[in-house]
Amino acid sequence: VSEHVLQGRRLHPATLIVRWLRIVPQMFAAGVGLAATARREGFGRFLIYAAVAAALGAVFAFLYWWRFRYTIGDGEIVIEKGVLRRQRRVIPFDRVHDIAIEQRLLARLFGAAKVRIETGGAARDEGDLDMIAIADAHALRDIIRHGARAPHADAPAETPEEPVLFEMGLARVLFSGVFGFSLLFLAAIWAVVQQLEQLHLVDPAAWFTPQEAETAAHLVTLTFGLELAALVIVLGVVAGVVRTVLRDFGFTLTRSEAGLRRRRGLFTLSEVVIPIRRTQVALIESGLIGRALGWQRLAFQTLGADKKEGGVQVAAPFARMEEILPILAEAGFPPPPPRESFHGAPKRALLRKIVPHILIAVPLTMAAFLFDVRAGVGVAAIAVLAVAAALRWRTHGHYEHESAFCVTGGLLRRRLWLMPYEKLQAIDISSGPIQRPMRLATLVVDTAGAPSMHSLAMHDLDAAEADALADRLYAAWLGARALIKGRHG
Amino acid sequence: MQELTPLDPAQVHVLRIRSAIAAVLGLLGAWAIELSQLRETWVPAMLVPALALLGGLFLVFVFPGRRYRRWSYREGEDEIEIRRGSLILRRTIVPFGRVQHIDVAQGPIQRPFGLATLIIHTAGTQSASVSLPGLKLADAEALRDRIRVKIRQDLV
Repeated sequence: VSEHVLQGRRLHPATLIVRWLRIVPQMFAAGVGLAATARREGFGRFLIYAAVAAALGAVFAFLYWWRFRYTIGDGEIVIEKGVLRRQRRVIPFDRVHDIAIEQRLLARLFGAAKVRIETGGAARDEGDLDMIAIADAHALRDIIRHGARAPHADAPAETPEEPVLFEMGLARVLFSGVFGFSLLFLAAIWAVVQQLEQLHLVDPAAWFTPQEAETAAHLVTLTFGLELAALVIVLGVVAGVVRTVLRDFGFTLTRSEAGLRRRRGLFTLSEVVIPIRRTQVALIESGLIGRALGWQRLAFQTLGADKKEGGVQVAAPFARMEEILPILAEAGFPPPPPRESFHGAPKRALLRKIVPHILIAVPLTMAAFLFDVRAGVGVAAIAVLAVAAALRWRTHGHYEHESAFCVTGGLLRRRLWLMPYEKLQAIDISSGPIQRPMRLATLVVDTAGAPSMHSLAMHDLDAAEADALADRLYAAWLGARALIKGRHG
Repeated sequence: MQELTPLDPAQVHVLRIRSAIAAVLGLLGAWAIELSQLRETWVPAMLVPALALLGGLFLVFVFPGRRYRRWSYREGEDEIEIRRGSLILRRTIVPFGRVQHIDVAQGPIQRPFGLATLIIHTAGTQSASVSLPGLKLADAEALRDRIRVKIRQDLV
């Protein structure tokens, strides 16, 4: 295949249909919304909106496809798009972290796929090719991985069989779904009701008129409540299973040349390579029940990771520790240390955790006695929170491995982070007004692409110990750095 | 290991001017509240402006000095350490090898005093940018140039 074939290519023609199908419902909904605000109803009007939406959608889809071109040049890919405002983006191959290939159900019918070129930049769709032929997608990935060379026509498109590191059968996926309890369907029902309300098809306010509320109140008995709760739980489990099967069906993790290749999905097939050199932190997570049965989840924090998954890429969603260990080893991480070797926070950290609760609980208790007994409910809630904080203190700990720093914590959902020393970005020690008189400090190790919620933090260490730990971590970073430099000459 | 370096003493004035602006705005706000319907409630007359005045005095005369004393930095062989914070004490260590780029910024209040802020960016998230205000412009630029030499284009 010569260079000119790859010059100024358009997207797969199926893009027209897929985009059209995506645009039309939005435009139709907007039209109907307008109609609803105008308060003139009538079936004919809906038909007109549908026809206009369909026509406009076709025009927009065509314009997008017509004005979108991508060129695979020497060591870079150029994407040009935009109808009124032209945009030209050049992505050098050596800036590409990762290429994700995703095939939705419709795309699979046409043999097309969406390609997402991850560069670690902030913009979400900076390198999206939505969609190109699946063979082109694989070829593009090979080109980018092997540098500037265009593939030879006679070379096999598929790389030879890669060793499988982890896979999940249907039974395992179904079982893991039971733990994926989800109340998303409640949100979905609510969204539908709101939509219908906007169209004046239903009026939720009318459900709660005094008369109707009274009739309804008679229906609400203990049995009814229990039945409703049971129904919600059953639906939650079913929704969890469905969601998990849709996402994790046929989960396979193989060792590819540059990293760990993950394939999964029932209708939407997705294929992602987790580049080993770009992994920052390994995260092992488990829920309360799953942990009791020995099931854990392994994910890697990488720079290009999708924010939808919380900035991490799942390598094994539901696995035994003995299945996780070889994956960790393959990615160059040490095994997690045993529970008892972690260093916890000092005893007075427990006091520090309780103090804010006491500060709130004391006036609430007085209020309960003086003004209103119902304030007692607040006191009970704070007591529960205090116990939770105490339990969290128990599970929290850190461990300095030879090659990695390790932090664990969490109450119901327990997390364990493994960070190779060379991935450290900055060390931050902070000491708040309650911590200071108690000589306590919190140490946060900053890493690239760390999610803001759950970063490597060791809370309420002894202040002197936190300083010493910071110095040791920094020394370990220098050491790891020197080692890498030596290896590269 | 080098000693901790305090900020330029003129930074106190910068902090004080900022505090004074905040205090004046606060007083104006308090006065507006005083002139509104507050007279009909149980709140005694002039209580809100008095509180605002107290707060303003604290902001202008006590706070800048405290704040200034809490700031310090240490330029190491391969790292910079910055200490700061009045309520929450913080100490951040950034290895030079992790610095992505460095800015020297100068605000309108800093300019008459010849001061500048050094901002160090890393690829991290929580400490993605660490700023060190209150350096003499020349010092900030010299520090920036010294760090720039030590930045290595490491892959993340």
